[in-house]
Amino acid sequence: MPLETPARIVRELTSRGYNADREAVTLLANAPDPDGALDEAVESAPEHALKISVEHVRNVLDSSPSENEDDFAPDNTSISTGTKNTESSVEGVTTPVETGGSVSRNDALQSVGIDGDVTGQSTGTGEYDDFVTVFRDRFQRLSGQLRGRVNARPTNAVASMPSGSDAAMVGMISDIRSTASGHWLVELEDTNGTFPCLIMKDKEFAGVVNELLLDETIAVEGTLSSDAGILFVDSIHFPDVPRTYKPSTADRHVQAALISDVHVGSQEFMADAWSRFTSWLHTDEAEHVEYLLIAGDMVEGVGIYPNQDEELDIIDIFEQYEKFSEYLKEVPGDLEIVMIPGNHDAVRLAEPQPGFDEELRDIMDVHDARITGNPSTVTIENVSVLMYHGVSLDEVIAEMPEEKASYEEPHKAMYQLLKKRHVAPQYGGHTRVAPEEKDYLVIDEVPDIFHTGHVHKLGFGKYHNVLAMNSGCWQSQTDFQKSVNINPDSGFAPIVDLDTLDVTVRKFA
Amino acid sequence: MREEDRQYFERLESQLDEAFDVAEAARENSGDPQPEVEIPVAKDMADRVENILGIEGVAERVRELEGQMSREEAALELAKDFAEGNVGDYDSRDGKVEGAVRTAVALLTEGVVAAPIEGIDRVEILTNDDGTEFVNVYYAGPIRSAGGTAQALSVLVADYTRALIGVDEYKARNDEIERYAEEINLYDSETGLQYSPKDKESKFIAENIPVMLDGEATGDEEVSGFRDLERVDTNSTRGGMCLVLAEGIALKAPKIQRYTRNLDEIDWPWLQDLIDGTIGKDDGTEESEAEADDSEGGDEGDKAEEEAESDEPDGPLRVKPATKFLRDLIAGRPVFTHPSEAGGFRLRYGRARNHGFATAGVHPATMHLVDDFLATGTQIKTERPGKAAGVIPVDTIEGPTVRLANGDVRRIDDVEEALEVRNGVKKILDLGEYLVNYGEFVENNHPLAPASYTFEWWVQDFEHSGANVQAMQDNPHVDLEDPSIEEALDWAVEYDAPLHPNYTYLWHDISVAEFALLADAVEAGEVRDGRLHIENADDVRIALEHLLLEHWQGEEIEISAWKPFVRALGFDDDLNRKWDGIDDLSRKAREWGKVGDENEDESGTNAIEAVNEVAPFTVRERAPTRIGNRMGRPEKSEKRELSPAVHTLFPLGEAGGDQRDVAKAAKHTEGMSGVRGQAELRIGRRECEACGSLTFKCKCPDCGDNTYPDYECPDCGTTVEPDQSGRAECPRCEILATSVEPQTVNLNEEYRNALESVGERENVFDTLKGVKGLTSAHKTPEPIEKGILRAKHGVSAFKDGTIRYDMTDLPVTSVRPAELDVSADRLRALGYDEDVHGEPFRHDDQLVELRVQDIVLSDGAAKHLLKTADFVDNLLTDYYGLDPFYEMEEREELVGELVFGMAPHTSAAVVGRIIGFTSAAVGYAHPYFHAAKRRNCDGDEDCVMLLMDGLLNFSKEFLPDKRGGQMDAPLVMSSRIDPTEIDDEAHNMDIVDQYPREFYEATLEMADPEDVDITIAEDYLGTDEEYTNFRHTHDTSNIALGPDLSAYKTLGSMMDKMNAQLELARKTRAVDQTDVAERVIEGHFLPDLIGNLRAFSRQETRCLDCGVKYRRMPLSGDCRECGGRVNLTVHQGSVNKYMDTAIQVADEYDCREYTKQRLQILDRSLESVFENDKNKQSGIADFM
Repeated sequence: MPLETPARIVRELTSRGYNADREAVTLLANAPDPDGALDEAVESAPEHALKISVEHVRNVLDSSPSENEDDFAPDNTSISTGTKNTESSVEGVTTPVETGGSVSRNDALQSVGIDGDVTGQSTGTGEYDDFVTVFRDRFQRLSGQLRGRVNARPTNAVASMPSGSDAAMVGMISDIRSTASGHWLVELEDTNGTFPCLIMKDKEFAGVVNELLLDETIAVEGTLSSDAGILFVDSIHFPDVPRTYKPSTADRHVQAALISDVHVGSQEFMADAWSRFTSWLHTDEAEHVEYLLIAGDMVEGVGIYPNQDEELDIIDIFEQYEKFSEYLKEVPGDLEIVMIPGNHDAVRLAEPQPGFDEELRDIMDVHDARITGNPSTVTIENVSVLMYHGVSLDEVIAEMPEEKASYEEPHKAMYQLLKKRHVAPQYGGHTRVAPEEKDYLVIDEVPDIFHTGHVHKLGFGKYHNVLAMNSGCWQSQTDFQKSVNINPDSGFAPIVDLDTLDVTVRKFA
Repeated sequence: MREEDRQYFERLESQLDEAFDVAEAARENSGDPQPEVEIPVAKDMADRVENILGIEGVAERVRELEGQMSREEAALELAKDFAEGNVGDYDSRDGKVEGAVRTAVALLTEGVVAAPIEGIDRVEILTNDDGTEFVNVYYAGPIRSAGGTAQALSVLVADYTRALIGVDEYKARNDEIERYAEEINLYDSETGLQYSPKDKESKFIAENIPVMLDGEATGDEEVSGFRDLERVDTNSTRGGMCLVLAEGIALKAPKIQRYTRNLDEIDWPWLQDLIDGTIGKDDGTEESEAEADDSEGGDEGDKAEEEAESDEPDGPLRVKPATKFLRDLIAGRPVFTHPSEAGGFRLRYGRARNHGFATAGVHPATMHLVDDFLATGTQIKTERPGKAAGVIPVDTIEGPTVRLANGDVRRIDDVEEALEVRNGVKKILDLGEYLVNYGEFVENNHPLAPASYTFEWWVQDFEHSGANVQAMQDNPHVDLEDPSIEEALDWAVEYDAPLHPNYTYLWHDISVAEFALLADAVEAGEVRDGRLHIENADDVRIALEHLLLEHWQGEEIEISAWKPFVRALGFDDDLNRKWDGIDDLSRKAREWGKVGDENEDESGTNAIEAVNEVAPFTVRERAPTRIGNRMGRPEKSEKRELSPAVHTLFPLGEAGGDQRDVAKAAKHTEGMSGVRGQAELRIGRRECEACGSLTFKCKCPDCGDNTYPDYECPDCGTTVEPDQSGRAECPRCEILATSVEPQTVNLNEEYRNALESVGERENVFDTLKGVKGLTSAHKTPEPIEKGILRAKHGVSAFKDGTIRYDMTDLPVTSVRPAELDVSADRLRALGYDEDVHGEPFRHDDQLVELRVQDIVLSDGAAKHLLKTADFVDNLLTDYYGLDPFYEMEEREELVGELVFGMAPHTSAAVVGRIIGFTSAAVGYAHPYFHAAKRRNCDGDEDCVMLLMDGLLNFSKEFLPDKRGGQMDAPLVMSSRIDPTEIDDEAHNMDIVDQYPREFYEATLEMADPEDVDITIAEDYLGTDEEYTNFRHTHDTSNIALGPDLSAYKTLGSMMDKMNAQLELARKTRAVDQTDVAERVIEGHFLPDLIGNLRAFSRQETRCLDCGVKYRRMPLSGDCRECGGRVNLTVHQGSVNKYMDTAIQVADEYDCREYTKQRLQILDRSLESVFENDKNKQSGIADFM
């Protein structure tokens, strides 16, 4: 490998039209993530440079990867990293699972705390008032984040202000329309009523309108119209994550594997890739991986779509979980596992989803995994991880222009959720809501890591220093995905260093 | 045409003329929108085309061309006339093309359907990018009713006319081409196309088509690419365009090519590529997939044939089971026979007199024994030959075989007996015969399925083997149809003819092993008291049941008609066996019908060859073809009512409240300062032609003369006169002028005056209902007087002012006065003077051939038409000031009266004459009458209107001014039926009294129906015989037998229906009860539960006080509009109402684990959403 890598790096650089100093090549080859570093180096090379210099690579290596919003999507970069890792993981396969424990992890240092779990706390009974309570709670908590930033008044107070005055409001979006002349009319609602706000198409921030989702909470500042019936918006504020946010990190070098969408029971479940992954966890290379987080869809489920039974490998839902449990046993026993359910799992679809019920927990109890609701905030060694399965990502991607959220770059859709500080803002569309005594879907505290799945695409990046990670899946392309031209990222395991929040992607397929 | 037919039509027409005179006189100076009758009479197709289009001179030209050329050629010839200005008064070039295209479609659809007026919105001339001009045709959704060929030819005609008037071809832009492909795919997935062109084909057509196909948006779904194109108005799918391109051009390319070849002006060379299928061929995988899809959907019959042929050496030819009819099974509508399942309906060929034209004959005893789920007119979805059929009762075929609680296994051929034993039925072993006529197989192009061995076949076999059948028929001591056992056995041996079907059992339904088992049982049995007694063992009993051999199951099994049974088993009458055992049989007999080759020792599944080896005579297969089916729609016989019902098409605005109550509106006072009864309504302004007063009424309140819409330009206020076509365009602003304006109307005054004018008081009716607003172009209100009289007589109006009654269509070709509740005298007075045998017509039980325009009303229809007649009389005397027209006391007096028959999606009514009544909830009429309305009888329904009601009350001015508004309205009426101008499906009906022996033998080969010679109606077209000689092979004692109404309609709740459905599945041998339960759960309960749960978690809310809806719960909690209480629109109760039942059904009917688990998971989801984890009420124990 050491011989091969420099040659490959030179080849790669040449193909992109660069020469490089010998030393620069060596530096790149020895970087923890040579391809990533290479990409960065090329990316940040001065526009007219023909040669990648040592200084250049050094700069890149020093700054990387904690640069503010560095993005990752497997198609353009680090899959080749994976190539290297694949090889190492292939070696891992030869390590018999039974000899697991060849690597030992120190249980005493591990810590897991769970917050915001709805399991066993579901008190809603599906009444109208329960719904009102949820939305009011959402509004109160999110408007609290915004109030300090503008001099907001209630909608009814704004309505009685004289025309032409400056005004600010905090509200939940109840309607978005475009007007005949191409401007945008956004109706903001608070507990007193609604008020229409007009965003002129020629305002510099008008582009932000296509990021707005119904039922998210925002603040606006502007001027009242001459009849005082409408507010001309001059600025928009989101609850957002502070730019200066400093994530917490672990006190020691420890890693977590963030995966999701295992889909055991599907004919497309990639058993081999999974075994390579779990075998690798037994190798020395994985000795620092002490946590495994699974963001939903343990199994393929039953009745998810019509005639699903014809495409199932295991038709019995309980056998699916038994089989999943078998696969989970391959994971070394000294790893801490945390799981939340997804839309394929046998729990209610409406969010927040409680963790698995007793019957399913009994089936999966072999590994003593921690089971919590979707979403939940899991704190491992100081690092808070917001785990959410990600059903709302479909909607965010559908509603927003491609450059702001797409299946190719699912982490960008996650940035939007962080910005709105809510994991599923829009009501009435894809996402189903079960009313509870509070809105479990609000992102109260900024997490250090935001972990989702669902869209079967691997993508990660940092948004205001928060690591957003959408893990891929363990299911190869299904007929349905084929028919709509979705290419899933299957068999990847992103590994996060909890002391630095750096990411290494390992490929096992 | 025969003299009697001529007389018949003249009689109808003179009767029609009389009524017309009365109606014309009534409407001349009245409050009706037009001072004349608005349904023009069309004697032939040419008339209808002209009337429906409203273009003068078309009819004459059509008649000229008709004798000389085909209809398609005539359409092209007419296009030339339009281009040259010989026909139609069009100055503009786009007008000429439009006229030509509409005429072509009207001509090709025989002036019946609404497609020419509703399906083509307009034609425009636009500019190509190179500056040349091209023609753009705007299609709309209703073009669907024209069918593919007419759609395709409309494009050809547009192109032809374009070439003649010198407009260039359309040159599609690239984005437009891509748009076609994307849009057609979208439409296909959204609505579905009969033929889905591949992208390459769509693009190829779009590139080459010489006129632009465009149209109105028909769906909500929008294309995602290729949006906002300059020359395409909408981003939604344009349904009309998609239909024309896919089902027209792409599918009918060969037909269009026939005509393009003969035209010099136009050239569509690219059609050849479409026809050859070379477009899109190169992406091979797609192609084969598409083919696979096709064969899956379509020609199951063909496939069956191939497969069966390859099996031939080892078993008999059989049609392959097809499961398509079971799809989308509905809760409460039972399955009667699973695909081709033994014990199900047995195919018998023949046409009963109330049969043919997509119907299925079932024994009335079967109808009762399937728990009354089948009634006359009930639609069934069927395995073959078509997709659906209307059920008709035929009691000359065999009834069901059942096992009763007392151990009796017997066939029930009698309705009385069926009703007697129905509560004791433990198992329905066989559903009896299922009569299908030859013509059905022709119409559906389905290979003939092997025929049951029945009397009509046997007797020809018998004659063929040398018996003097004629002599035996004349011998009073011989009953050929029902011979004694001895006779039957003698004949079989003596003449070497196959055994009589009465004693032929269903040997093909038992296996060779069972055959041997029965032989052993008989060997061990004995004959006592003339009955064969054999051991009552489970397997013996089951084999006997499957043979459909009548017997009694007690301590022992006792069989009365045992001789033919033991002979067939190779015994003599002393129970001596003539063969040793199964190994004694030939290999062919032993392995006949064997499934698979793996096991050498295994014996066959079909014992017929074994029987033929050991029996002293030939035995034919009794019922080789079973036909699967399930219930579709129930039959219908109901008055047509708008919802809510409307008595008068008079607008009330909000004043009438939710009930649209005129009396309430008359008392309503708007606001504090309003005047009682005064309301502001959007209504048409009319001008009196005599005195010039302005009013909204059709009769001038000042001078009593007629008024006409008064158009004003909405922009500049100029008064505009409409042009000849009725369009009123402001010459200055070039926009359409309108006569509609908000007017203040004193409803109280109008209401009181109307009451007074017809001399009625408010207490003659309960409520008088108007409408909220008018939807017609001129918003012309109907006189309230008409509504008062309708309310008084308990009838209500349809959107066009007529009173309608809907019935399921069924055919009948010969009738008996007795079954129609009329006397022979009465029918003689209507011109019936001979019975079907040419004998003088005297008695009520003689069978007479039905005239083509005579119809039979259901009891309900008769009652409703009587009420309508009373209303019409009342209207004539008290509103129009004329003499009454009907003056009826008894329903008998309706006989001989004329009605309109009219089907949805058409615009032409057909005149019919009432000749009797039936207790069945259907409308029986001649198949040609139904075909003239463009209906067949597979469960379709349409309406009748009383003639004078239509003449007096119909007005085009009431029709909604929106797409489809002109459909289902009698824009024209056909006074006589020309058999060449009806839906040609009716021409495929066979009209013979016997099918030849060759036919039955051909069925065993599964021959193509076209290869068999049986006279069908088509053979008589254009001859003197075209209206007569509709013979039938099977009689029925009455056209209304079995239950009057399907149990589906008499059972109360959905749960009751479903329980009855499952109970029937449980006791019917041919039905797999688990499959039914699965299908009901998967198709009904689960989608319902999942859908409701989904709806719950993303529901809207609604204010209980003011009705305002909110997409999301308001943060204020209360209604933002009125402060009222807001509540959910989907509640827990509606989400989980079926949960417990579904779980119970899944358990009881042993559904598979997968289904049970889905229910279990859903149940937990419901619990999780609707139950408080901290306060669970699990059971009473928690409180003890």
